[in-house]
Amino acid sequence: MTDLKYVTTTCPYCGTGCSFNLVVRDGKTVGVTPFTRSPVNEGKLCPKGMYAHEFVNSPDRLTTPLIKKDGKFVQASWDEATDYIAQKMKTFKPSEIACLSSARTSNEDNYALMKLARGVFKTTHIDHCARLCHSSTVAGLATSFGSGAMTNSILDIEKSKCLFILGSNTFEQHPLIGRRVTMAKKNGAKIIYADPRFTPTGKQADLYMQFRSGSDVAILNGLMQIIIKNGWENKDFIANRTKEYEAMKAVVMKDTYSPENVEKISGIPAAQLKQAAEWIGTSGATAILYSMGITQHTVGVDNVHSVANIQMLCGNLGRPGTGVNALRGQNNVQGACDMGALPVSFTAYQKVTDPAAHKKFEDAWGFPDGICEPKNGYEVTVMMDVLTDKPGELKALYIMGENPMLSDPDLTHVKHALEAVEFMVVQDIFLTETAELADVVLPATCYAERDGTQTSTERRVQKWRKAQDPPGEAKLDWEIIAMVAAKMGYAAQFPWKTSEDVFNEMRMLTPSYRGMTYERLDKPEALHWPCPEETHPGTPILHGAKFSHPDGLGIFFPCEWKAPAEVPDAEYPFILTTGRCLWHWHTGTMTRRSGSLDHEVPTGWIEINTEDAADLGIADGEMIKAMTRRGEVVVGARVTPDIMKGVMFMPFHFVECAANMLTNNALDPVCKIPEFKACAIKVEKIQEA
Amino acid sequence: MSAKGDMFYAWTNVSDIKGECGGAVTSILKYLLESKTVDAVLTVQKGADVFDAEPVVITDPADLVKSAGSLHCGTLLLPKLIKKYLNGAKDMKLAVTCKGCDAKAMYELAKRQQINLDNIVMIGLNCGGSVSPVLARKMITEKYGIDPNDVVKEEIDKGQFIVMTKDGQHKGIKIDELEEEGLGRRKNCQRCETKIPRQTDIVCGNWGVIGEKAGKATFVEICSDKGAMIFDGAVKAGVLATSAPEEKGLEIRDKIENVMIKMGKKNQETQFAAIGEGTDRLKYIMAETGRCIKCYGCIENCPICYCVECSTKKPHLVRPGQVPPDFMFQMIRFAHIADSCVNCGQCTDICPQNIPNSLFMHAQQVELEKMFGHKPGMDMELPVLAFAEEIDERARLNATGSDMIYENVFGEEK
Repeated sequence: MTDLKYVTTTCPYCGTGCSFNLVVRDGKTVGVTPFTRSPVNEGKLCPKGMYAHEFVNSPDRLTTPLIKKDGKFVQASWDEATDYIAQKMKTFKPSEIACLSSARTSNEDNYALMKLARGVFKTTHIDHCARLCHSSTVAGLATSFGSGAMTNSILDIEKSKCLFILGSNTFEQHPLIGRRVTMAKKNGAKIIYADPRFTPTGKQADLYMQFRSGSDVAILNGLMQIIIKNGWENKDFIANRTKEYEAMKAVVMKDTYSPENVEKISGIPAAQLKQAAEWIGTSGATAILYSMGITQHTVGVDNVHSVANIQMLCGNLGRPGTGVNALRGQNNVQGACDMGALPVSFTAYQKVTDPAAHKKFEDAWGFPDGICEPKNGYEVTVMMDVLTDKPGELKALYIMGENPMLSDPDLTHVKHALEAVEFMVVQDIFLTETAELADVVLPATCYAERDGTQTSTERRVQKWRKAQDPPGEAKLDWEIIAMVAAKMGYAAQFPWKTSEDVFNEMRMLTPSYRGMTYERLDKPEALHWPCPEETHPGTPILHGAKFSHPDGLGIFFPCEWKAPAEVPDAEYPFILTTGRCLWHWHTGTMTRRSGSLDHEVPTGWIEINTEDAADLGIADGEMIKAMTRRGEVVVGARVTPDIMKGVMFMPFHFVECAANMLTNNALDPVCKIPEFKACAIKVEKIQEA
Repeated sequence: MSAKGDMFYAWTNVSDIKGECGGAVTSILKYLLESKTVDAVLTVQKGADVFDAEPVVITDPADLVKSAGSLHCGTLLLPKLIKKYLNGAKDMKLAVTCKGCDAKAMYELAKRQQINLDNIVMIGLNCGGSVSPVLARKMITEKYGIDPNDVVKEEIDKGQFIVMTKDGQHKGIKIDELEEEGLGRRKNCQRCETKIPRQTDIVCGNWGVIGEKAGKATFVEICSDKGAMIFDGAVKAGVLATSAPEEKGLEIRDKIENVMIKMGKKNQETQFAAIGEGTDRLKYIMAETGRCIKCYGCIENCPICYCVECSTKKPHLVRPGQVPPDFMFQMIRFAHIADSCVNCGQCTDICPQNIPNSLFMHAQQVELEKMFGHKPGMDMELPVLAFAEEIDERARLNATGSDMIYENVFGEEK
């Protein structure tokens, strides 16, 4: 008789944190069915979730450790591979080692890698792909509010009276949050959508504002000027809950940010700015949803500060239907950050440079020879620069579940950087473009094969439940890390038998997770952090009475608009912006191996405005050359009226036409996020020989 | 010896079965497993909590106790699961508990040779409708003023949705009142007319159980020869005790059924009217479906959809990767499904953009039923759009010597 089980788990793709049931027949995952009980998605799914089972048992899953010998990978045993890693790692000084953790693996896996980096390798250099997406948010909101996370919950978005969506194509990138937008609209909310592209989300908006990528601070300052001029600001909120208002006001009231000037800078007609400002300022409950469009700029932190500014200005914080809702991309990027896989903090953003925090972790972990120095380490984008500009400084790289060979900016530069690494270990589920360059590859479990927790964008910590065994000899990520640590002589510090053991150790050191247990998290509602005690109900909405700074006040940061690092010129006359699409996830490791998703979108494209294409003589579907100062790719054109004239767009999922060959490694000076969203590009017809 | 049409009060003779109202269903399932009439029982049990129903395949009779009772938040549909994951019951014998929509879906899949109905014993269940779990919890918080986590049991009885808490509190609110405010049962349940699914083998419920057996017996109606054999077998094996139903009980059961059917028809009228007529209806459908993100949830969960090569995935019909997909995507669904839609509601439940797919499909189905007289889900009558071999069909039409296709196919003027 067929053995059929339904295992409820959470989705491995985006940060919405949907649940579904994996159908397991005779021990193998064969399908996905709705879990209607989930408060987040109520059984509904986007196509990625609907087909989240398709890649799990792919024939090219990594099944054994691999060691590179004479330029080729040779299968090895776990003993051999971990012995080799330990032996090599012992030859490097702590400052020569860097670790990249994974926003796709569990909280337990991230905590384990953070402990390996700081306790075993004793390096200060640990980071992960949050650097590339929401490092602006973490830095920006931490300084504005004292806490760098989405302030409200997904459920309360539908209570909003006005939604301002800026830098997020919610329907495609967070589809089940897009549902809440639809529900808010049905409840009478006004939807304002700003994007250089008239996306599926834009098509549902009441007001669509098309603007030039990289003009966000001007737009937000301009909106704030209109709000203040009309007296729509929330004077009580400003007086009682914030500080530094006058400094910020002085900047936004400048003529630079008049509606007419902002129209020139951004391309948004003044009349639209006025309409948006009115809706935002007078709705009573405006929520802002934002994502990469705001963060991925050299002024990413300024953009985030400006979003925080306008919400404090109007008192749109701390209540249902309001908030600064930073939509985190990866399924567990929030968790990876919370677990301290960042060069500046331990778990819960406890600073590595704080002597009290350093002592707390050192004492708790009990490494006989101490842990890393209490200094900040390198961000991943800086690591790449150091590898090329200061050869010999960084020698070893330990990577878990990340694929910088496709996800980082300026891929030519990334390749040079990674090739300069003397010893590289990659722990992953498939042999990615990055793993190809490694000295040792370790086979890990995917989401369907593990118990553990992950934290969604609304700070909800939810369970992954094991549905099937991993293929071959693949192991859990934290298990692999514990094995490596043991080979290096630190078995005693990694004594865990189950993922629950890891979680329980972690929560004792992590105030915002302290009150969570596996039993409490087993409930469908799970828990939002902060949850400081085991009787605490969790915190769906932040900043209700006070902000998270010691004095409880939010801080206005004045921001002046600055243009992107690279703007169009005679040689490269168009703006290139990059992003995602509904069907694929990031470097495509999982989705391009899912037949249903691959069928919809088998390869990439470059979006060109219809008029621009006509001027260039380019037809829809034509293969063309796209070039920036960093490199060139051959890619198919998608000619559409839905993108702003002068702007072009490429999704970054496809190695054969990799958008990141073209993007600019220009970084925000504070958080080091690359400017994926704006650089200068030219396109040419391919000349037949 | 019982026969099709016979009705009984039945209750369990097995001491450790504490089923709903007499436990007859659980006892029959136990008998079916123990007598090896079936290899497994496919039914539903409590999942995360009382608001969550998960399907379960039971081979050990001792596990049946977990599936006893009713879960009004169990909105899932079982037949598609059988087709997708149990090889359509082609190489196993199953007993399956079926609400009306489950029963109808079984027949539609069987007609399309996706399920072997000979290998399935359908134990029908009276159903007044189900409530989506998250909405139920919202309803209980806001309308009942009770913490849903304190609820240990819920029920739909005498037109009320009733909850019972762990400290014995009981509260009921009229379904009509809830539904006027957009709460209550799923919209397709509100439209449903299949309250006592007699197309199953044995249909069970508690309507019509009055007198000293009230609350302690199940009302059983035999609906097929297979059902009769099974029922007699269960009685003979000593798991089931029976008595004749009270005359008044039969009346009450008929009355409840008719009231619910009437309510269903009325809700159809109201809900269909709200989406307009003719071009207005088309415009409304196009506007709503314009939010589609092509998740394929409607297709994956629809019991009528089964094609390996779905027309919606053919690039020349629907451009791949386009969001929203062209309206052609919806039209393919309407064209292929509408004649056979059983109003199971899965397509609405699953839609991430809250598009009322089931409402649109059901609205078309009732029109097609008026035109062609075909009622889906009742028996093995083939659908209106059954597959025809093109060459044979063209030859047949040519042989009529007429180019009037409608007449030739439907024989109006013959």
